[in-house]
Amino acid sequence: MIEFISVTKKYPNGALALDDINLKIADGEFIFIVGPSGAGKSTLLKLITRETSPTSGTILLNEEDILKIPKNKIPVLRRRIGTVFQDFKLLLTKTVFENVAVPLEVLGYKESEIEKQVSEALDKVGLLEKANSFPLQLSGGEVQRTSIARAIISKPQVLLADEPTGDLDPKNSLEVVSLIEKINKEDKTTILMATHNAQIVNHFKKRVVNLKKGKIESDVKEGRYEAA
Amino acid sequence: MKQPKEAIKLIRRSPYQALAAALAMSLTFFVSSVFILLIIGGQIVLNYIEQRPQVIAFFKDNATQSQIADLTSKVQATGLTTSIKFVSKEEALAIYRERNKNDPLLLESVTADFLPASIDISVKKAQDIQTITSMVQQDSQVERVITPQNLVDQLVKWTKTIRVGGIVFVSTLLAVSFLIVIMVIGMRIAIRRDEIVIMNLVGATKWYISRPFFIEGAIYGVVGATVATFFVYSLLLFYSPNIQQFLGPIQIFPISPLFFVYLWIAEVLAAVSIGVVGAAIALFRYLRIE
Repeated sequence: MIEFISVTKKYPNGALALDDINLKIADGEFIFIVGPSGAGKSTLLKLITRETSPTSGTILLNEEDILKIPKNKIPVLRRRIGTVFQDFKLLLTKTVFENVAVPLEVLGYKESEIEKQVSEALDKVGLLEKANSFPLQLSGGEVQRTSIARAIISKPQVLLADEPTGDLDPKNSLEVVSLIEKINKEDKTTILMATHNAQIVNHFKKRVVNLKKGKIESDVKEGRYEAA
Repeated sequence: MKQPKEAIKLIRRSPYQALAAALAMSLTFFVSSVFILLIIGGQIVLNYIEQRPQVIAFFKDNATQSQIADLTSKVQATGLTTSIKFVSKEEALAIYRERNKNDPLLLESVTADFLPASIDISVKKAQDIQTITSMVQQDSQVERVITPQNLVDQLVKWTKTIRVGGIVFVSTLLAVSFLIVIMVIGMRIAIRRDEIVIMNLVGATKWYISRPFFIEGAIYGVVGATVATFFVYSLLLFYSPNIQQFLGPIQIFPISPLFFVYLWIAEVLAAVSIGVVGAAIALFRYLRIE
């Protein structure tokens, strides 16, 4: 379970990104974090991976206060969390297979084990045949599916998706979010997806947390989102 | 095995920077090796000279055997000497011929009459050289006295200069190598920024991300020290006849290959330390991850 208790984040320039956020996310839940640009969606996700720290408040992951994790243990926290980015963050000089294998290499897995797990992950996202292709040889949807495969390879408890459809057309967007939903259902992975794609949010009928100027404006089960 | 391979891949990705770092290391350790050899060689020459007779008294042509024998006994009686050896005109000629056997011009028309007879005196303690020198200089049959004291002083001075000069010069080169390693590895970190960010986000520890850079620094060290030792060994091997000829009776060659193995090990350790510390500074300065 993830819990935000009175979390506030103010940037050094004085901008208030999050203002007294209280939010509980149950294990295996799928949540859309919606809101216009600058609402604080990405900041909320970055707080969970400790890419940034709040100005005040507490964040619990499985009842552990992640803000108390020492700096040298942050990598261990991140191994429990998969992240999918809008700009994919794939290494262009590595093949699909090599990109997906990075988290396992970091964990020191044997090559045979890496081979097995990467093949399984690529099969899950439907990219097994593209294993030896480079990111520049793939379509936008395929690139994002590679990024999802990398995010789920170490079987994380939580998958954070920060605008994963931001650079995709509607058809690919639907495919990518369907894949994330499949991961949520099959692996019971908790999903937090930041988006301002109303079409996607309204199609999947999940819990929707609407942020506006750093505050939770609404939190509705099977909610909808009407982009301004 | 994965990380050394990764380090080699990094080097191959921008070989000119790697070449600059390895060349700087090679030059630094080549110069270091030359200075080390000069200092050791200087010490051998110094030891040789210190062990030679410290006072040589040359007699006038008309000095008789009994006058020479009187002076010898007088010097011996002081109890300050370890040995006194008489060198006749004929023996002096033989020594002269031996030393200049490769130079016929110097041998032409030189006979025993040109060379004076002498006594070579070795003293027990260096501070007694002056006492013995004064004693033999007062003898009317002695034409000239030479002591290698001035030469020893000169050599000590030269050895000191070489040592100080070497330390200054090598320190400067070490600093240059150090800065080049920092610069090259700093550039590598900048080139790999995206990869580092991604690895950091998927849970790589700082140590895991840093390791290839440390290995790269160490590789520059190993390559630099190896190239330097190889060149010094080759040059010394090539020029050993000339050096030996210059040094004359002071036997320096052959130098044991084991000496070069120890030199190589010492230089590799020093160079690897520079590479690794340089990498550590570059990582501390440029690797900004949490």
